[in-house]
Amino acid sequence: MVKLQINGKTVEAREGEMLLAVMQRMGIEVPTQCHHEAIEPTGNCRLCMVEITKKNWDGWKKCVTSCLYPVEEGLIVETHNDKLFEIRKTILDLQLARSPHSDYVAKMASEYGLEKSSYPVEPQGDDCIMCYACTRICDVLGKSAIAPTMRGHEKIVAGPFGEAPPDCIGCLSCAFICPTDHIKWNDKGNTRTIWDKKFKLIKCKKCGKKTITREFADYLIEKRELPSEYFDTCDICKRQETADTMGALVVKAREATI
Amino acid sequence: MKYCFQVIPELCTGCRTCELACAFKYAKDGKPGRSRIYPLAHAKDQYVPVVCFQCDDAACVRACMFDALRRNDETGAVELDKERCVKCEACVAACPFGCALTDTDQNEIVKCDLCQGDPVCARFCPEAALKYVEIED
Amino acid sequence: MKIDSIAKLDKWRKEIQTKQKAIKTKILICLGPGCLAGGSDKILKEFQTILKKKKIKDVLVESVKKTGCHGFCARGPMVIIEPLGIFYSKVKKVHVKDIIEKTLQKGEIIEKLLYKDPDTDKIYKEWRKIPFYARQQKIALRNVGQIDPDEITDYIVNGGYSALAKILKGMKPDEVIDQVSKSGLRGRGGAGFSTGRKWVTCAKAEENPHYVLCNGDEGDPGAFMDRCIMEGDPHTVLEGMIICAYAVGSQEGYIYVREEYPLAVVNLQKAIDDARKFGLLGDNILGTDLCFDLKISKGGGAFVCGESSALMRSVAGEIGEPRAKYVRSVLKGLHDKPTVLNNVETFANIPVIIEKGADWFAAIGTKKSTGTKAFSLAGKIKNTGLIEVPMGIKLKEIIYDIGGGINDNRKFKAVQTGGPSGGCLPADKLDLEVDFDTLADNGSMMGSGGMVVMDDRTCMVDVSRYFLNFLVEESCGKCVPCREGLFQLHKLNEKICEGKGTEDELKLMENLSKTIISGSLCGLGQSGPNPFLSTIMYFRDEYEAHVKKQECPGGVCKKLITYKINDDCNGCMACLSVCAASAITGKKKEQHTIDEVKCDRCGACYAVCNINAIDII
Repeated sequence: MVKLQINGKTVEAREGEMLLAVMQRMGIEVPTQCHHEAIEPTGNCRLCMVEITKKNWDGWKKCVTSCLYPVEEGLIVETHNDKLFEIRKTILDLQLARSPHSDYVAKMASEYGLEKSSYPVEPQGDDCIMCYACTRICDVLGKSAIAPTMRGHEKIVAGPFGEAPPDCIGCLSCAFICPTDHIKWNDKGNTRTIWDKKFKLIKCKKCGKKTITREFADYLIEKRELPSEYFDTCDICKRQETADTMGALVVKAREATI
Repeated sequence: MKYCFQVIPELCTGCRTCELACAFKYAKDGKPGRSRIYPLAHAKDQYVPVVCFQCDDAACVRACMFDALRRNDETGAVELDKERCVKCEACVAACPFGCALTDTDQNEIVKCDLCQGDPVCARFCPEAALKYVEIED
Repeated sequence: MKIDSIAKLDKWRKEIQTKQKAIKTKILICLGPGCLAGGSDKILKEFQTILKKKKIKDVLVESVKKTGCHGFCARGPMVIIEPLGIFYSKVKKVHVKDIIEKTLQKGEIIEKLLYKDPDTDKIYKEWRKIPFYARQQKIALRNVGQIDPDEITDYIVNGGYSALAKILKGMKPDEVIDQVSKSGLRGRGGAGFSTGRKWVTCAKAEENPHYVLCNGDEGDPGAFMDRCIMEGDPHTVLEGMIICAYAVGSQEGYIYVREEYPLAVVNLQKAIDDARKFGLLGDNILGTDLCFDLKISKGGGAFVCGESSALMRSVAGEIGEPRAKYVRSVLKGLHDKPTVLNNVETFANIPVIIEKGADWFAAIGTKKSTGTKAFSLAGKIKNTGLIEVPMGIKLKEIIYDIGGGINDNRKFKAVQTGGPSGGCLPADKLDLEVDFDTLADNGSMMGSGGMVVMDDRTCMVDVSRYFLNFLVEESCGKCVPCREGLFQLHKLNEKICEGKGTEDELKLMENLSKTIISGSLCGLGQSGPNPFLSTIMYFRDEYEAHVKKQECPGGVCKKLITYKINDDCNGCMACLSVCAASAITGKKKEQHTIDEVKCDRCGACYAVCNINAIDII
């Protein structure tokens, strides 16, 4: 365990824990965009920045992203001050110029008193804020079907060579994790479309309800050694099957006692 | 000390109290459809309560690529960490008993976590068809 | 032939010496990037073809040697005849026959090919006496331009691999590190971190394996020091790395070179192959227990890949984006293992430090910045080229004594040091002593050693716009402050160049710069606003002229200037013939006029007019 000071309060934390986790446990709120428990932190949005110092640093302070900075013995952390407010505000101001149509960005910016951007508005066609949550979740999944490509302001998330990603299995994790909800997908009939790629949805062999994509199921079957028949029916039909099996046992038991 | 959740289907009368108790605990409006326990008819007027078995080698845990489903060793339940869940529905598709499902109203994955060690359904079951009992290790 | 002992290496060196003594005259032909562009490869061929047919005393075909960059790029292509050191500049293929027949056969000097100082009209016969060379001190570049980079024998005969032999003969790894620490050598890639301290940390790290990386991803516009070392003396980089590997206990290393340097890749590969062939790389180097091997890792030329964490990711085959881990890369670098990453020039200094000793090196330069530093001189300076000078030399000395002053003897305005994220220093800073700390204290930085000189016809607002544009394009786009912040900073700067900027926006830019500096993830963003900040620090009046009066004092920003022909015009028609927009009209020997509407302000007329008859208003 290490002892450190956050906003004047002394706290204990596990070695290797990140500052953000400790702050969240203390109920200290800092805005975050690219942070998600299921993925590795990367420090893209810079909103969770805090100012750190130590007793022997002679008053020298530095700004670090709390999502990536591991706790240290004797660390003195400040999570809210004028400088940090200015950094967070400027970041949101810049995002407002990039994604003027995003409700997500607008809501966060309004908390900093920003109604419209101070900068020339340059929308990039979609509401992507480059938090990489989608690509990172795809990495966790073990597929890495999409990745950030190009550079600088033109950077986008896409499949290899801007084409439909061959490794995509249509699980929609990227679309679900996206904070600005801009990754487009749709299910029409038996077909799911995402990243310009089409997938066959599994149809429940009993009721015909569509579940996940065949590719996703096959991936889980292979990777996690699950029996393939688990995926043949939908959750409702499987539940009824369970009831039927249990019922049959009840009946059998009853008959046996009679 | 370990606990075990017992379902005794023979005692179930199909009164659906368990369903209501669960729904009131987890959905503000108490909609029965939001329950995590499902009294289902297997024959006319004959019911069994279907609820997560908290399987030892659970398919849902295996299917979750993001480590959002983990066993709570104290309660014995497989719990969903909502902060880690991406709602990809792999667990819903994988559970062979159909006991994980998507709550479309709340847009989240729903599964029984034994109410963190105090299952309301067992508390309210008038026939004691649901029990949460101590067992030896 | 494997050289499997130090004694054998010494013996081999002696053999080469005897062999090379037979070649009395040497004709060195610079094949550096500048001279090559001037056709020096054709000159080399011409020499070889003619000499094959001709028999001249003391001159053989082997006398003709191709070398790396000799430094004086402004005078290229260059041919140097040793041992006399005769320096022929701006040589063309047609001159080759003359050089052979007159100089080599009869010992006559061809005066028109010699260097003539444009200010003093003094003619120099020997290159070492030319002011451009006389003020320099070469350590890292000691062999560049002197030896054939393809020949390992050339390197060895000049004392190559003797530093390696020295440490293998009787220095412990910590003694090697001690020497490097004592020498005070600081990283030549820009940040100036103590090389010795880096090595100690890596050597002490418990995790294994340890890696040695060389950063050859020189991306600053106008910088070509590392390129010239890799192209002109690849073995020195190798030797430096092998010594480092011995010191920190590494068995595997990589040289990261950008693919835009094809010759550097070829020459380094040849050097690695040769070193391996002779047992200087691989298992049991020189018959000792030292095992170390090297590979080249080619980069795609992204500027950000010069940043340590991005470089390591690129070497590992991942996306070349910086990684924000608050763990030093020397402990968790390549593949998360302890890694020493040094710049090409840093490694090139190592063999000399080992051989001549730390004290010798520490005596050069200033107390806190020891040794020498290579710079590439570019911009509006007479003697563009590659130089190496002791630290602590004044900017003035570099620009005027070595660089020969400003083109057309115009007024000096600023010098940009440290690449795109460095800064511009004005005329009153010319007395600054060039070292890591002084430059940083004055709003610029040492960087990797690019030096771009600007004259009074430069607009500093435009300079800031240019470098910001570079950074916007090279930002990896990962974090918001750098991606969006630099983008907006550049946009606002552009607006000022068009005369549409406001004072409020100028303030906004200054505030935005603060966030970019403290908010960005890697060094690129953290130093990104420097072009703007250093120009506004020293040239605020120019910004204000653009904003308040819609004027461009440097006469560069197209939207703010008009070209007018004044009464001095003699109707020579020169401007008329170069005007691509056909905006100039007028009869021969009569005053011309420029149609403001048609004129696209390219400045071609202004550049071509010899009698200053065109004004920029």
